Amino acid sequence: MDYFEPKTVSEALSLLAKYGDEAKVIAGGTDVMVDIKYKEEPGCLVNIKKIPGLGVIQENGGSLRIGPLVTIHEIETNNLVRERLPVLWESCHQFASLQIRNTATIGGNICRASPSGETLAPLLVLEAKAKLAFSEGEKTEAFASFFQGPGKSSIGSKGLLTEIDVPYPPQGSRGVYLKHAVRGAMDIAMVGVAVLVTPDAAKNNLQDVRIGLGAVAPTPIRATKTETMLRGKPLNAAMIKEAAAMAASESSPINDQRSSGEYRRWIVEALTRRGLEQSWKAATGKEVA
Amino acid sequence: MSLTINTTINGKSVSASAEASTSLLEFLRDTLEYKGTKLCCNTGECGACTIIYNGKPINSCVTMAADANGAEITTIEGIANGDKLHPVQQAFIDTGAVQCGYCTPGYIISVKALLDRTTKPTAEDIEEAVSGNICRCTGYTKIFDAIQLAADRMAGRV
Repeated sequence: MDYFEPKTVSEALSLLAKYGDEAKVIAGGTDVMVDIKYKEEPGCLVNIKKIPGLGVIQENGGSLRIGPLVTIHEIETNNLVRERLPVLWESCHQFASLQIRNTATIGGNICRASPSGETLAPLLVLEAKAKLAFSEGEKTEAFASFFQGPGKSSIGSKGLLTEIDVPYPPQGSRGVYLKHAVRGAMDIAMVGVAVLVTPDAAKNNLQDVRIGLGAVAPTPIRATKTETMLRGKPLNAAMIKEAAAMAASESSPINDQRSSGEYRRWIVEALTRRGLEQSWKAATGKEVA
Repeated sequence: MSLTINTTINGKSVSASAEASTSLLEFLRDTLEYKGTKLCCNTGECGACTIIYNGKPINSCVTMAADANGAEITTIEGIANGDKLHPVQQAFIDTGAVQCGYCTPGYIISVKALLDRTTKPTAEDIEEAVSGNICRCTGYTKIFDAIQLAADRMAGRV
């Protein structure tokens, strides 16, 4: 196996172009090292950790720019994330164990494109964008279209994620990330639900609502039909019940060793209901009537 | 492809070669003969291989040996002061927190990293610090007692 530590993005891209599908990008290594031990060695390992500038968090007007090499623990302990992006903070706080959070990077969690990737449903509801570098040039893509299937994203084998731009949610909005797993730590989500609610000025109707679902479809998804149904409406118990059932019907979970698809649908329903109730209360100070 | 790794382990400079596919755990155990760090799940889930890497507890089984280059590493072999055990080691003995002992080095390293950060850990801090360490012999009560005792001794409270 060949091994490289490129010092620039363009050097990394030339290596990816040269080795094609044989090349594997590695950063924290918490997924790739397991593949090397239990699946197969790639022909070439490209360690991107020596590229300067990819490991910083910077505020940029109305958004936070997160470098792909920033570790989950660095996000978890960043005050701006805690204050401005609590939905993302919550998913990083519930991520695996402290040991893994100290090594795993957000770029790795994204590029792995696992449907259950902990940060992905939060990034979808925050309407974050990926900055991608290819030999032909750079492009910016919303995460809404980035994920294409389990392990598949528009980054392909030739691209590199160079930045994650996470806009601050609208004024007055509140959100939660709810994870369902057997253990509190070190467990992969059976279901993860991220909810972001923005009430109108009078705090009577939903001006905006976003619902992200993890681990219940081939990619993390937004429950867009449910969101459309709720937008502009007052949020009462009947509405929440309908929305939760609709979100469950928008999911298409598989049966696997962690749970059955049927069980996952029930959990989507329960977590969507709880997520809407909690976010609405946090945003308006009022219980759902 | 063989790489030369220059690193610092328990305060000592070390230089040795490793394959690019070698994990830091394999490098420590098989190349450098630091056998105190344990191989168990080899997937980053059980914490038996926990070491301190530049001040932070990590799983050495899912870290590349190549990443040891230029790093400061502390293993279980490096925390006693001569013949005097580290307070965390002593507390594990005194409370009977060791049964088969396989998970113990990983626990002790996670706890040392915690008590390097704070001498007054809350119950929540303790739970978080060892949430990535699994013990399959027993319950966790005596381990928690050991952590509390070590914290109290290190802060001079007992």
